[in-house]
Amino acid sequence: MKYVPVLFGLAIFLILPVVVDSYFLTILISIFYYAYLSSCWNILGGYAGQLSLGHAAFFGIGAYTSSLLFMKWQITPWLGMWVGALLATVFALFMGSLSFRFGLRGFYFVLITWAFAELLRLITLSLDVLGGPTGIYISVHTSPWQFQFSGRGPYYYIILGLTIFILIISHKLEASKPGFYFKAIRENELAAEGSGVATARYKLLALALSAFLTALGGTFYAQYLKYIDPETTLGVSLSIEIMIRALVGGSGTPFGPLIGSFILTPLSELSRTYFTKGGLEGLPLIIYGAVLIFIVLFLPQGVATWMKEKIAGYKNR
Amino acid sequence: MTSLLLQAIASGFLMGGVYGLMATGLTLIFGVMKVVNLAHGEMMMLGMAISYWLFTLAGIDPYLSIPVSIFLLFLLGFFIQRFLINPILHASEHMQILVTLGVSLILANSALLLWGPNIRSVTTSYSLETLWIGEIVLDLPRVVAFLFALFFTFLLYLLLKKTELGKAIRASADNPEAALLVGIEVNRIYPISFGIGAACVGASGSLIIPFYDLTPHVGPPFTMVAFTIIILGGMGSLSGALIGGLLVGVAESVGAILLSSSLKSVASTTLLVLVLLFKPRGLFGK
Amino acid sequence: MSLLEVHRLTKSFGGLKAVADVDLWVDKGEIVGVIGPNGAGKTTLFSLISGYLTPDEGEISFKGLSLMGRTPHEICQLGLARTFQIVQPFPNLTTFENVLIGAFNRTRGVPEARLRASEILKSIGLFEKRGFLAKTLTISDRKRLEMARALATQPDLLLLDEVLAGLNPTEVEWMIQFIRKIREQGITILIIEHVLKAVMSLSDRIVVLHHGEKIADGSPEMVSRDKRVIEAYLGEVL
Repeated sequence: MKYVPVLFGLAIFLILPVVVDSYFLTILISIFYYAYLSSCWNILGGYAGQLSLGHAAFFGIGAYTSSLLFMKWQITPWLGMWVGALLATVFALFMGSLSFRFGLRGFYFVLITWAFAELLRLITLSLDVLGGPTGIYISVHTSPWQFQFSGRGPYYYIILGLTIFILIISHKLEASKPGFYFKAIRENELAAEGSGVATARYKLLALALSAFLTALGGTFYAQYLKYIDPETTLGVSLSIEIMIRALVGGSGTPFGPLIGSFILTPLSELSRTYFTKGGLEGLPLIIYGAVLIFIVLFLPQGVATWMKEKIAGYKNR
Repeated sequence: MTSLLLQAIASGFLMGGVYGLMATGLTLIFGVMKVVNLAHGEMMMLGMAISYWLFTLAGIDPYLSIPVSIFLLFLLGFFIQRFLINPILHASEHMQILVTLGVSLILANSALLLWGPNIRSVTTSYSLETLWIGEIVLDLPRVVAFLFALFFTFLLYLLLKKTELGKAIRASADNPEAALLVGIEVNRIYPISFGIGAACVGASGSLIIPFYDLTPHVGPPFTMVAFTIIILGGMGSLSGALIGGLLVGVAESVGAILLSSSLKSVASTTLLVLVLLFKPRGLFGK
Repeated sequence: MSLLEVHRLTKSFGGLKAVADVDLWVDKGEIVGVIGPNGAGKTTLFSLISGYLTPDEGEISFKGLSLMGRTPHEICQLGLARTFQIVQPFPNLTTFENVLIGAFNRTRGVPEARLRASEILKSIGLFEKRGFLAKTLTISDRKRLEMARALATQPDLLLLDEVLAGLNPTEVEWMIQFIRKIREQGITILIIEHVLKAVMSLSDRIVVLHHGEKIADGSPEMVSRDKRVIEAYLGEVL
């Protein structure tokens, strides 16, 4: 019975592409795309409580790896995406084992993830093999085998599928030993160690899982837009976009990032369409900044938790 | 090569003085209320912008607009602390990071909204003046910036050591409970300290505008450098901030000639990573 | 071979010896009390044994295995759990989840761990509050929670750091009975306590620390008559 609303919602989202116009579909794709990425971030930042400001690095590794493999050796991105995800995981493990080994937590971890992503961006900027500042254009070979489709519909179903996949993972995580261990680390690392939690290993696990899945999103992005550059795929603004949705929706909850994306993505898509035309660039990010502050000051647990409490309060009346 | 190296060291040293002042602001904020200000670079950008616009619109020399920067940034810092930071002073570190990140987004993008993404610079009559010291050539604006920065750092030092306000600030930093017990209103000291920290970085912005280009997104690298410095110098240590500033200034410009100047930011970012990994408690910490 | 053997353990902080040359052993099934004036090094001793601090010198072994160089979670997995003097809950998780996390330690699978957590919550009287967030519990409930989580890890040796502090006399009496009960289940106990009357009645053996050194070790009666112990506690009533 409790799956009825979920299945109902799923049915709606499966039918939607047939009935909506292409602009609306674009927005839906963006919503799920950010929901997916933010859910990946949520595993590390939300459940395990290790705030990362460097997720663009994993995303960028995914996007660049599959794109380069495709452009230089015609390897299909369906394969390249796994290579990218593995590389991102290796990078994450390298970064993580260094920072956790040296005991970096809290703000120091924020700084080091930011710095590592920034290094990657700067190096990509200066290397011509990687396309330098102009980035990489992915040539069009419309064929499902090359992860290229005509029309937006297939992209929509792919990102919807990925989002459902990550939601299932988050849901499973909630009731599993690793999920509880992640939460224990977030809540009190000292006590977690004392309760038999191998904190260093579980932090690395959260980081690796998060990085692997984020990189898959990078390949999706590259194939969907057919263009990547260092600024948009490796820049700190992407890391902020990824992080902020989970925080607004409710970090450490399975549906928080999705809810956050439903609130913020239309806001940013619409404001991008309307404000930048009127010479108002910057306004979306000003609104973001304000939302971030508002959330921290008034809804520190995020919208999902707030809604849950409201609903519980309503039921108890 | 030797003279090139000396040249790099000298100009890095000069920039390091300004970095020192900028980082002093950050370390003061951290030292007093344990808040990490991710909007620090954006405050630097504002300091630059204030002097830029006063020069461009009213023809006021950047050095004369320093007091305006100091005053406006003080107010900004004061109100940010009072209304945004104070409510979450005892909340988790995450919350503070998010609020200051929010502030940085608002500041940078307000600048983008108001005057667009263009690179802007100030050209004064003395912009291209140089000084020769033996083989080394120094840009006059950098020398002036360095001297002013040292002067302001010294003033701040006097303020903290010799005045009643300074003693109250230091007491609040050392032990807020004890400060309360001896009658210091810690809640009044906090916004003032944040204001002073912001004023330091505002002044630094005004000092570099004669030789440093202004864009709305000039902030984040400064934030990164400022954190590198205060971690290196020991979080909360004033003298550490100055020494760290000089060290980072030199390291950055030497790194730039060794790596080619397009990789200058690589040098400072790598430095941050190394400092975080190997000296997270500072050079002088245990 | 004793269950826990500590040999010539030393730890200094900036020239101050917090624990100096301490020898200690705990046999299986014992309750051993560690007492001493404030700053005697009791909590430092616990942190050394449980792996949170690294000793400068000395040797610790548990079940015949050396604990040197092992992390706290490894030591916990070997069957040595501790509580903290300042309770360390997972504040935004429920009482049940707090204990569940401990219960994963030596169980296989989620259902088994859940069962174990429920049993412990029932035995310690927190089952009714299993859905409460830990941060909303009263201080005495938090003390019980701290104990419950440590027990959930299925220790053979339990290190209790001032679990009676902050409790009212009825609660103290309850807790003493509870500690006796868990000993009967085969768990060996090393307990730091300030409430001397309680620890004297509870323990089979008392170890007294003073300025980091062990000054006495023996039955409660013997220790309470010891001249050095009386001097150390001068002014306090034994």
